[in-house]
Amino acid sequence: MLREIMTRIFQPVLQPVFHPVNVFLSTDFMDATAKFVTIGFFVGTMVWVGIILREGYVNRGRPSKSIWTDLRIWTVLAMLPHVFVYLYF
Amino acid sequence: MTEPTIGLASIDIVTIFVYLVGIFVLGTFFGRYVQNAGDFFIAGKALPFWAIGFSIVVSDIGAMDFVAVAGATHKDGIAAANFDWIGSMPAMVFAAFVFVPYFWRSGVFTIPEFLGRRYNAGVQIIHATIWACFMLTMLALMMWVAADKLMYTVLGWEQTRTVWLIAFVTGVYTFSGGLSAVVMVDVVQLIVMFVGGLALLTLSMWEVGGWTALRTQIEAMGPQYENHFRLLLPHDTATAFPWTGIVFGLGIVLAIAYMSGNQTVVQRTLGARSEWDAKGGMLLGGFLKSFIPLMVALPGLCAVVLLPDLTDSDSAVPTMIRLLMPPGLRGLMFVALFAALLSSVDSTLNSSTTIFVTDIFGRVKTLFFGKPFNERQALILGRTLTVTFIIAAALLAKTVGQAEGIYIFIQTALSLFQGPTLAILLLGIMWRRATRWGGLAGLVLGVAFCFVLNYTDGLFPSDDPFLFVAWWSFVFALVVTVVVSLLTPPEPEEKIRGLVWDSVVRDEEMQDTLRDRIS
Repeated sequence: MLREIMTRIFQPVLQPVFHPVNVFLSTDFMDATAKFVTIGFFVGTMVWVGIILREGYVNRGRPSKSIWTDLRIWTVLAMLPHVFVYLYF
Repeated sequence: MTEPTIGLASIDIVTIFVYLVGIFVLGTFFGRYVQNAGDFFIAGKALPFWAIGFSIVVSDIGAMDFVAVAGATHKDGIAAANFDWIGSMPAMVFAAFVFVPYFWRSGVFTIPEFLGRRYNAGVQIIHATIWACFMLTMLALMMWVAADKLMYTVLGWEQTRTVWLIAFVTGVYTFSGGLSAVVMVDVVQLIVMFVGGLALLTLSMWEVGGWTALRTQIEAMGPQYENHFRLLLPHDTATAFPWTGIVFGLGIVLAIAYMSGNQTVVQRTLGARSEWDAKGGMLLGGFLKSFIPLMVALPGLCAVVLLPDLTDSDSAVPTMIRLLMPPGLRGLMFVALFAALLSSVDSTLNSSTTIFVTDIFGRVKTLFFGKPFNERQALILGRTLTVTFIIAAALLAKTVGQAEGIYIFIQTALSLFQGPTLAILLLGIMWRRATRWGGLAGLVLGVAFCFVLNYTDGLFPSDDPFLFVAWWSFVFALVVTVVVSLLTPPEPEEKIRGLVWDSVVRDEEMQDTLRDRIS
């Protein structure tokens, strides 16, 4: 009942906005980019933490100078397996 | 529903008994360290990174996930595993290096508290009420699902009695020990959960003949299974997991909103003994979460081969436990599922109590009586609400739990306000010009827009477009907040000092002031 009323009121207004977006995203070209975009998401996050953010900011409050307490390394080690998973599937 | 069979051997009963007593004793032991509200709600700021990481994972993964994610994988394939991969790790890294340092340094207790300081009391109370209602519903739902889909299916236990058993065990130790008890019990629960989950995975994989055999057999079952090994499904897929929704709706909006705005997650990082422990806990949690699909999703895939006639996907894992696990291991698996359940219940209970004390009752008291609760009053109220909520959840469990499509229902409910909340949270932290009216308009209109998108058919290709709803409501709330903020007068400098990311993270003088304020 509620769904019927909402659909009758809003579908004519919103469909012209969303339909072209759906058509564009459903193209073969966009499907081919899915893996690239997803892996880029992981790699971009690693680059942001590992290179762009300042070391002092990332590791503030670090208990020692040991390499194992460097959170930049933790980030890369934690994210890297995901890259392989998305490459495989 | 599969017919229940009771298959407990003596060794299973001993395992379960030892586990329940051990958890009970461990949890109540921490009651001796609770002297004030700070100890009860944020563990006296003494939590190490490993406890935070373990607790975040086990609080997030409940017994429902064993049932519902395995069910979704059985039905739609491995794409359901995206929730623990792209739907967790990037968001947890983002939360660790943007939100955690910010909240840790500004000394806020809850997310609604921040929104109240940054915008106004209206935003705080609306946000807190929505979250509190959601958490209480979740509390009732997770208890019923475990009682009905697991304990009844596997062991034939009567559901209502199981609900009250869960309520008693978690209620007592959460009442007694607060966050410290919850986190330390969670550490044990995670170990138990991993052992049980890996046992189920090993037996399932052994039964189907290994990974290659599993893949070959499912792909040979017909075209309806051709996407069962694809993580990224096309945009126009009829399932709930198109890749565009997964990357934008889940990876960018829902996951970040959940990891940054969920009180159960944030509360653990606020209880860290140092900022490094808070960040490290988030990263460790993200890493451990990566293993969850192995224990949850893969058994769902194995069920496609082992249980070809199964019609109810949500029954996949319980039925596999019943069929594959020998006496002894069945008790261990039962304990693992119970651990997953108890850890989610105790965390939700403790966090919903925190929100009620800090943001609803505390805010109302300040508005009407001019001052907040003192430490002793907050502790008494926190404990009273703990008891009240767990009893209310147990009473409502059956009614709430009989909704269909459990997992999708939860995600839909979350998507209704996660997008708008993230939008105003991000703008409130990052953009000095965001105003109280901008925040209020963004939240209210954003949730309304979510409602419209969710109940209007024919806008998205998916039958269940909660991921798209989350993304577009986020974009809509961003635009509304920016426009309304630019049309209203800017907030005074003294109000936003110490609340905008730049000043909290980069301004040394401000950090000293904040440190004094917190101590």
